[in-house]
Amino acid sequence: MYEWAEEHEMLRKAMKDFIEAEIVPIRDDLEHGDLPPYDVLRKMFRTFGMDEMARDSFARRIAHEEAVAAGEVDPDEKPPGRPGGDPAFTLIPTIELCRHCPGMVTAMGVSMGLTASAISSKGTIAQKKRWVPELLTMEKIGAWAITEPNSGSDAFGSMLATARRDGDEYILNGSKTFITNGPYADTIVFICKLNEGNDPADRKVLSFVLDRGMPGLEQSPPLRKMGMHSSPTGELFLDDVRVGRDRLIGETEDVPAGGRSGAKATFQQERAGVAAMALGIIEQCLEQSVQYARDRRQFGQRIGDFQLIQQKLAFMEVARMNVQNLVFRTIEMSKAGRTMTFAEASAMKLYSARMATEVALEAVQLHGGNGYMAEFHVEQLARDAKVLQIYAGTDEIQTVAIARDLLGKPEE
Amino acid sequence: MKVAVCVKQIPDPALPGELDPTDNTLKRDGKLILDESDSYGVELALQLVEAAGGGSVTLVSMAPNNEVSGLRTALAMGADDAVLISDDALSGTDALGTAKVLAAAIGRVEPDLVLAGVESSDGYTGTVPEQIAAVMGLPSVGFAKKIEIGDDGLHIERQTELGYDDVVCPMPAVVSVTAGVVEPRYPSFKGIMAAKKKPVDQVTIADLGISADQVGWAGARQEIVSVTEAEAREAGEVIEDDGEGYQRIVAFLEELKVI
Repeated sequence: MYEWAEEHEMLRKAMKDFIEAEIVPIRDDLEHGDLPPYDVLRKMFRTFGMDEMARDSFARRIAHEEAVAAGEVDPDEKPPGRPGGDPAFTLIPTIELCRHCPGMVTAMGVSMGLTASAISSKGTIAQKKRWVPELLTMEKIGAWAITEPNSGSDAFGSMLATARRDGDEYILNGSKTFITNGPYADTIVFICKLNEGNDPADRKVLSFVLDRGMPGLEQSPPLRKMGMHSSPTGELFLDDVRVGRDRLIGETEDVPAGGRSGAKATFQQERAGVAAMALGIIEQCLEQSVQYARDRRQFGQRIGDFQLIQQKLAFMEVARMNVQNLVFRTIEMSKAGRTMTFAEASAMKLYSARMATEVALEAVQLHGGNGYMAEFHVEQLARDAKVLQIYAGTDEIQTVAIARDLLGKPEE
Repeated sequence: MKVAVCVKQIPDPALPGELDPTDNTLKRDGKLILDESDSYGVELALQLVEAAGGGSVTLVSMAPNNEVSGLRTALAMGADDAVLISDDALSGTDALGTAKVLAAAIGRVEPDLVLAGVESSDGYTGTVPEQIAAVMGLPSVGFAKKIEIGDDGLHIERQTELGYDDVVCPMPAVVSVTAGVVEPRYPSFKGIMAAKKKPVDQVTIADLGISADQVGWAGARQEIVSVTEAEAREAGEVIEDDGEGYQRIVAFLEELKVI
């Protein structure tokens, strides 16, 4: 794959038209006014039939799982593929939304991606039916709560959130922070350690599904942050939240690798999505910069005639080509049924995130004083891009993952 | 209910257009897109078929180089199939020649209704729908802003300068629709994926029983003798507001007789 196919171009055009008509007019409210992004995302889902497709696809998967459970189908048989299972159809909306409001992708990705996947991959059939369909259609908003005030990159090592057995039930306690969709989430996957009085390092990691409004669960208002304002981020406080076993994902404490592997698979998926986000930011910054270099005149000529400006544009274009190729590679591999290694996903995330930040900052610089003003939009993208180097694993964590792989050391 | 919709595939208006210096016509050899003014006809056709409880929407288009990109967009919106007339002999065809070719293709579809945009966004002749009707011997209604199917035929609100006319028209008929008639839908993901597989019947003028001397430059009754660049718009009058600027605005509007 070296360019978008005809149907991809059609989708890009349709997405651009929708975003211009529905999102750009409210961008200021989304980015500077705490307008939650969910209603317009739901409208996007309805408009493009993404909700209907998600429901159909889920129904097919569940029917297959039920047939396997009933012994009617060989467990090794692959579930029926959804028609047009082209990953580009997920990545193109990501790219196009990120040209304007990358935060919306974060909000959407955490809800229908991370949260729904966490339940889909390890949950029982009953749990999937109970929570997943409405997350996939964005009718309900999901949050995936792992990070804590004192546990970021060392997510499991420093985790303090606990589950305690109490008869057939569990009592959950702890604080989570930097939780995307936290303030508004209807469905929350809460990750914690089972406290059996043993050494915290040996405790099992369990995930529970919580619903908004449960006694003892508090969801904070949105936190103030540097960028990604169209993605509400908050804190969660759990004070003796009592849950039944039906909310323990998988309904079993016997989780492989002490529960750490599930979260790791989620990290990997998250990292691949970041390249598409970076591409959207880079494309927008480059297009605006080229236009500005043509229009803006100083010293009697357009600034695009100055070599120092040309150098910035060329740098941005190289970054765009490289990140686009990484996105194409993701699509190709997915179509071929291949999965990136953890190190490869890390490398892609590391490079794309850095390029998005560097390109966006160069775009601000190229725009001069105008670039620093909100009106020209690149300042927002520069603030937004920075988090790509922090969330879903910091640059430093990605670097370690790549180096460990190269040096042949087993991962933690 | 079978509806044929004439759709034109045009060079992307967002890109700088270019004229062929040899014949002063718009260069159309690159990728073409669906003319936005035709998306209203497609949407209306889909709605009429849905309201009728079933039927089909067939697109009819004439374009060089077997270009289908614009057709795929309309197919993704929900049209069922398309007829594409592409033939080297069609280069230079004027509005009447175009109408003859489209009429021949539409005849093969045998529709209950033919819809078209009032005018294309690249040529702007605004005559093709009425010419198709004349060639086919069908009634023609232009500038429709609303269409409903009644027991006695089509009920059409025909846009006029002052309002609209209520028109009742037997079927089949050729109706041109204005941009305000409906809000064109976005193609759904499913629609985009399905569009690739929908049938596009690619025909030549010979397939339609039309000879080369009836179309193209040979059959054209018009010639573009010369093209002149439009004059640049003059700069407006700049008035410094000394607190009484509004009076100048009022006077200006009165002069235009708009207030």
